[in-house]
Amino acid sequence: MSVAAQTAPLPRRRAGVLAFLRAHALTAYAILAFVYLLLPIAVAIAFSFNSPKGRFNYTWQGFTLDNWRHWDAVAGLRDSIVLSIQVAAISSVVATALGTLIALALVRYRFGGRGSTNFLIFLPMSTPEIVLGASLLALFLNLQFATGFTTIVISHIMFNISYVVVTVKARLVGFDRHLEEAAMDLGANEWTTFRKVTLPLIAPGILAALFLAFALSVDDFVITYFNAGSETTFPLFVWGAARVGAPPQVNVIGTAIFVLALTAMTANILLQTRRARQLKGAA
Amino acid sequence: MTDLTRLELIRRAALGGAAFAIPGFLAACGSDDESGAGTTATAKKELAATLRFSNWPLYIDRDENKKSPSLEEFTQKTGVKVSYVEDINDNATYFGKIQRPLSQGQSIDRDIIVLTDNSRFPGLLISKEWAEKLDKSAIPNMANLQDSLKKPSFDPDREYSLPWQSGMTGIASNLKLTKTPVTSVDQLLGDSKLKGKVTLLTEMADTMSVVMLANGDDPAKVDDAAFDRAFKRIQRAVDSGQVRQFTGNEYTGPLTRGDLAACISWSGDVVQLTVDNPKLTWNLADSGGDIWTDNMLIPKGGDAYTASTYMNFVYDPKIAAQLAVGINYVSPVKGAKAEAMKLDPKVADNPLIFPDEETLSKTVIFDTKALSNQDYLEKWQNLIGA
Amino acid sequence: MAWFHRHKGLTPYLLLAPGLAWLAAFFVVPLGFLAYQSLQSGTFDFGFSFTWELYNYWDAISRYRDHLVRSFVYAGLATVIALVVSYPLAYWIAFRGGRWKNFFLLLIIAPFFVTYLIRTLAWQTILADEGTVVGVLRDLHILEPDGRLLATSTAVVAGITYNFLPFMALPLYVALEQIDPRLIEAAQDLYASRAKAFLRVTLPLSLPGVFAGTLLTFIPAAGDFINAQLLGTPNQHMIGNVIQSKFLELIDYPEAAALSFVLMAFILVGVFAYSRALGSERLTG
Repeated sequence: MSVAAQTAPLPRRRAGVLAFLRAHALTAYAILAFVYLLLPIAVAIAFSFNSPKGRFNYTWQGFTLDNWRHWDAVAGLRDSIVLSIQVAAISSVVATALGTLIALALVRYRFGGRGSTNFLIFLPMSTPEIVLGASLLALFLNLQFATGFTTIVISHIMFNISYVVVTVKARLVGFDRHLEEAAMDLGANEWTTFRKVTLPLIAPGILAALFLAFALSVDDFVITYFNAGSETTFPLFVWGAARVGAPPQVNVIGTAIFVLALTAMTANILLQTRRARQLKGAA
Repeated sequence: MTDLTRLELIRRAALGGAAFAIPGFLAACGSDDESGAGTTATAKKELAATLRFSNWPLYIDRDENKKSPSLEEFTQKTGVKVSYVEDINDNATYFGKIQRPLSQGQSIDRDIIVLTDNSRFPGLLISKEWAEKLDKSAIPNMANLQDSLKKPSFDPDREYSLPWQSGMTGIASNLKLTKTPVTSVDQLLGDSKLKGKVTLLTEMADTMSVVMLANGDDPAKVDDAAFDRAFKRIQRAVDSGQVRQFTGNEYTGPLTRGDLAACISWSGDVVQLTVDNPKLTWNLADSGGDIWTDNMLIPKGGDAYTASTYMNFVYDPKIAAQLAVGINYVSPVKGAKAEAMKLDPKVADNPLIFPDEETLSKTVIFDTKALSNQDYLEKWQNLIGA
Repeated sequence: MAWFHRHKGLTPYLLLAPGLAWLAAFFVVPLGFLAYQSLQSGTFDFGFSFTWELYNYWDAISRYRDHLVRSFVYAGLATVIALVVSYPLAYWIAFRGGRWKNFFLLLIIAPFFVTYLIRTLAWQTILADEGTVVGVLRDLHILEPDGRLLATSTAVVAGITYNFLPFMALPLYVALEQIDPRLIEAAQDLYASRAKAFLRVTLPLSLPGVFAGTLLTFIPAAGDFINAQLLGTPNQHMIGNVIQSKFLELIDYPEAAALSFVLMAFILVGVFAYSRALGSERLTG
């Protein structure tokens, strides 16, 4: 009896360890996965502080803030960033406008050709970028249209439209029509309702789409590579620089973009959480 | 759309130079002040504000602050700023990039580009009429050009081009991995200790010359049999995994990093790489290599006068010597060796930089006819991976 | 509801017009031009001319069969690995994430904010022959003493997997997040083990996410060339490398255009077969 009493606690403890492992295996795995995801980012950020003696930024040779202070010391880097931002600004605004209109039409109206429109929107997202870039180049070549700033903007708008539509649609689908009906019942006409009720409520979705389009445009390499002519956007600059040794300033810019985007998204999330809480509180 | 085209025009005017440039300072140094009848209808006698110069990497002198003393001297002398971009990595790739705007009559926003004569591209640029004529009246120093380079087959009267530097193709080694320099092609392509740590150049003339010489054939007279022999030998090395990759100038990264033990490379590159990795060294292969010349050309839309002024500047033996010491390539300028003696006697005596008869005897110029042979080009493209 | 009836007129078409016109002009028409180019013949030096050269397609398939096969193998491997890696991760965030779900999602998307090229270059540094990772692997005898990771198909597939992981993880997460946990509870109340509950309830319900994720990963991966260029050798070159080189370096437009269509055709066929197999029609939803 006393033996049984003595041995009884042990199995429970062993079961406890196994259960602990099983319960937290998934968490451990998740942690590993995050490390894997973020490792190259960490490396890229770390090497922006490297001070290489020669032209190659591969081995750690010392910490310095010089790269950050003189981020535009590399010829062509500043111009490429400026160009990327210009292109992204224009293309994201136009794409968001065009895409939002399409999304509105798709979600709120029933019309002939809805299915094929959906399909047409989906197609660019499912075509390999290389085919998109090559076909645009074929277009410009055959029309004798000079490749350069304009063609870059045109191609960026094109591929961004689909992403905008998908993003805004997701937001629109969850939109409560009753709010609009309530406004109309209270005497507002369509345009006022749209301005004062609909638009503010779908604004986060439109902003998210704008942000996404901007990010996709800044980051695009393949399609731009085919259609840039002799212009150089930031990704093209990185590609060229990588051939001969990318200077640490490239990492600096990459890190800066990363931090900016991260901040923007975090702010967005916090805002949305706060708004959700407000709505819940008001309800 | 109109906003975009307006934006584009403004950009072009801002970046461009040639026809819209605000007249800069006139040349102050003696040899540039040639007035008189212009050589071409488009001759402008005013220097642009900026010279836009596209070149290969590791091809200009650099000091510890990574600035170029010779370019700064040019700016001081003439007031022309130099926008120096190292965006040429490989002749075919660069030509492919610029031919699109050029074929549509657009300028590529460059005044000087540099292409190698052991590819078909300098000749192609000229034959397609995409090159501006030099303003020879602005280049009196052209008389200093080595005699052997005065009449190249692709530009017999030197109307469109002037040599930048010449160089040789040989084998670079990372002594940390190879212990002794690799000088035999047999070792490069056959030593299993180097397996997977060897690269060859994408430039057909360079790689083929080195291998053909090792096979005992003459790259100056390429026939199908000789081509096939060398081709098969390289193919075997690729298939066995001996050759890691074919590269343009981008072998320099992996070589410095230690990913490569040895590779076919160009004579002067290593000297600037030793700052990153002191264990790198370069040698001509025992069986020899090819010798080639990089040429400065003025693409259509470039400012011929400003470009010619710069060319005149680098054909001054003093400047040529500076460049030779800084980049360790073979100068095309007569008298550079004497000046280099004053700067760095070791460099002046180096037969790889100022080749003597013995070194020259081990080098050949690749058969120019073979450069346009479609069959060879196709086979080569398939070999180097598309 | 009232909206639908009231505006059966022109409004939807007006809304659609600008965007669709743009897509028509810069997506559909270019494909037409690409097709036109693919039927041309000639060389850059002497000019191209339209000659209904269907041979280009045959030539493309036969000459670059290896590259085509390799592209699909690499893309397929990358997709499967991405699925295996992302599924537990997405599951964990959806079911264990709690209040921090959005934050963890952000962590998944975060790599995207660093330019594609910089990410791939970072892998070049991490996997360098003389670097830490390879050194450790050599010490552990996973690699031979002079083995390497860079310039191998392993590196290329790893690179592709890494770069497209968020495309797999996000749809998976969305699908998993929508599963009502009470369904799983119900299954367990009916005496199903944890594993069975997962297999019979969670997994099937997450299939739309799996479908979307695999498509969003496989399709761009099949046309990728950057990973093969930076992390591999010509022996790893994918069809994307060939197309890129033919367009931009060799200036062989007809062949390159034909290759592009061949790639698209194979992808479409593959996707069609896959969607039939899974029986899901959430493709254009």
